[in-house]
Amino acid sequence: MLAPTPTASARGARTQGAICIKDVVKVYDPDRAAIMAVDHCTLDIAAGEICMIVGPSGCGKTTLLNAIAGFHSITSGEIYLDGELLCGPDKPMANPGPDRIVVFQNGALFPWKTNLENVAFGVVMQGKMRKKEAYEKARAMMADAGLSGTEHNYPGEVSSGLRRRVEIVRALMNDPKVLLFDEPYRALDSLTKSVMHEALLEIYYKNNVTIFFITHDLEEAIFLGHRLVIMTSRPCRPKQILDVDIPHPRDYSVLTTPRFRELMDQTIEAVHEEARKSFEAGEREG
Amino acid sequence: MFREHAASMQSRPSSEAEQLIVRLLKRTMPFQVISEGMLQSVAAVSRPFSYRAGEVIYRAGDKADDVYVVVSGAVDHLLSDTPTTVERNRVMHSGDVFGWAAVLGQDKRVRLATATCVETAEVIRINGAALIERLNDDPATAKVVMSRFATMITREFGAPAAAAQIVAPNRTVSDAPAAVPRPRGHATGLALTLYRISRWLRSPKPFLMLLGFALFLGFWYLSVQVWKLPRFREMPGLTTVFHEWFSKNPTYGLSFYTPEYYQDIWVSVRRVGIAFFLATALGVPLGLFLGWSRTFREYVFPVFEMLRPIPVLAWVPLAILMFSGSETPVIFLTFLASFFATALNTMLGVESIDESYTRAADCLGASKMQVFRHVIVPGAMPYIFTGLQISVGVAWFSLVAAEMVSGQFGLGYVINTSYTMVRYPTIGIGMITLGAVGYVTSALVRIVGDSMMQWRVRELALGGR
Repeated sequence: MLAPTPTASARGARTQGAICIKDVVKVYDPDRAAIMAVDHCTLDIAAGEICMIVGPSGCGKTTLLNAIAGFHSITSGEIYLDGELLCGPDKPMANPGPDRIVVFQNGALFPWKTNLENVAFGVVMQGKMRKKEAYEKARAMMADAGLSGTEHNYPGEVSSGLRRRVEIVRALMNDPKVLLFDEPYRALDSLTKSVMHEALLEIYYKNNVTIFFITHDLEEAIFLGHRLVIMTSRPCRPKQILDVDIPHPRDYSVLTTPRFRELMDQTIEAVHEEARKSFEAGEREG
Repeated sequence: MFREHAASMQSRPSSEAEQLIVRLLKRTMPFQVISEGMLQSVAAVSRPFSYRAGEVIYRAGDKADDVYVVVSGAVDHLLSDTPTTVERNRVMHSGDVFGWAAVLGQDKRVRLATATCVETAEVIRINGAALIERLNDDPATAKVVMSRFATMITREFGAPAAAAQIVAPNRTVSDAPAAVPRPRGHATGLALTLYRISRWLRSPKPFLMLLGFALFLGFWYLSVQVWKLPRFREMPGLTTVFHEWFSKNPTYGLSFYTPEYYQDIWVSVRRVGIAFFLATALGVPLGLFLGWSRTFREYVFPVFEMLRPIPVLAWVPLAILMFSGSETPVIFLTFLASFFATALNTMLGVESIDESYTRAADCLGASKMQVFRHVIVPGAMPYIFTGLQISVGVAWFSLVAAEMVSGQFGLGYVINTSYTMVRYPTIGIGMITLGAVGYVTSALVRIVGDSMMQWRVRELALGGR
């Protein structure tokens, strides 16, 4: 529906981190009432792409993310990461691992560890680095992300915006192929959100990881993404894929461009229908 | 603040002046994108001011009400000492906007910089609250303007993180202005405790506490010895008890000056200490495994739940049959109640851990044992210490029961024998001592807990608790 975009060539600057979701079905079966959360979902995400998943509340987006991360099994279908099978018919549940790191909706920094200990956690646990070495690298990465001075604070002592940044740095310490975001900025106010968006892009330009990003916020989706995948209401399946042909690097001035407004209108139209369907189906907020 | 009154204030702008303001706003970073109508609406809440060279417009730490736009002249903008800023000092000219603290959340409207007029300057001031209200008429525009403000803040601070720190919603430190950097070192547990004590002493709380005690003792004295109320008449009176307690030659053989008093305290403390230690050493691991391993729990929990409600006194015969002597059964009984409280709370603690913590640890490549050590144990810690507080209280409770039934020496034994031997004032001494010693042990558990969970203490302190 849209011509191939110039941003498409910017993608794939990295050769690792391509996700291939093939015909995935997830059926929950509590009390023998089979509920289909994901329905024959097929989606290819290129290495280094920012793929925004947009859809009504409770449509099953998170189920898909959990399947990629290895928190949930799938009923049928396959998911590949760089051609390697994560989960499929013989292995319904992927193993969670540091190549696919989730940034959680409510944040999951360990409150009992300082920010520095949190950032160093992964590599120390995997035995990749000695503690001292890991702390050095963590300190450097935090400084790079503008987090100097908060190393010895506990997460509970800093603002939620800052916590999200620490959490992203914690993920990047492990040099992941894919970052999986589960509505990480949902609880933030719009002012903080806008700062966080620019910060995320800044991090992305430096690291160029593949980003799988679930959101409700259409402005966020268009501002950050290379592509928007609009999901149908439960069961969840891509309804429409929208290329965002605004060249990266982007900053907040794109919000006022006519092209942005146009894309916004297109998205609203596509999402609205699904939102209404899901509202009528009485899906709970979640 | 106070200087503002010194500045010459002009009358409300006419519509012609409003047009001038609209034209000025169009040149500013945050407002250049908004519609003519909205600009007029903003202009209507703007007021022109002028300042003489050298005049201070506001200082860091002042309350922030207005956003400023420079019309003409120059204003020096000096950020207070924040390590994350790129340039602390900036001179503002026509079309520059400063004083953005006024558009932040209610509790963050505090100046972070000092603005001084360098050469005679004309500015317009826009009330932050009024501005937000006007902008809210058109949420789409509001969003863009706020984003632009955010970008401006970001630039000023160089690092977006610093701006995020300022604008983030849940910084609730009311007595510390936002973005003032925290001291880098740790406040050690001891320093923090001392600080808390000194703060407590300066608050009205100690007086209220004393008043509470005075009322309680007063009621005791009056009801027993003065009014001689029906049910209180037979009780040992306040003065009788205290007289006996402080007597060098006590009538019934127990006071501050007799070694038996200390022996009884020591025996009880020792029993509680051993029982509490055993209960913790066994109860915490049991609770952790109950919460952590589903299979283990299927086996053990039903039995645990069946044994738990059996009162300590029901265990007395078995305890005496199982253990010889008089000491071990008492310790066993004391241990029992403590153990159940600790194990149950620890298990609840493990259950309370948010799933995303264990998932995050899985993502980061931690093994099952590492998850246990780094997530389950510290995550359950707050509940474990709540459990230990309860457990130490329960330990005293069951100790006294056990000492009354079987035992020699100890405060429970003293209270019980004093009754049978009609030494009523000694009952009072035993009870008050028991209360005081119990209070101290419970406080010790709390102090140990706080020092082991600095993260929690600091988090709660930020919440103003």
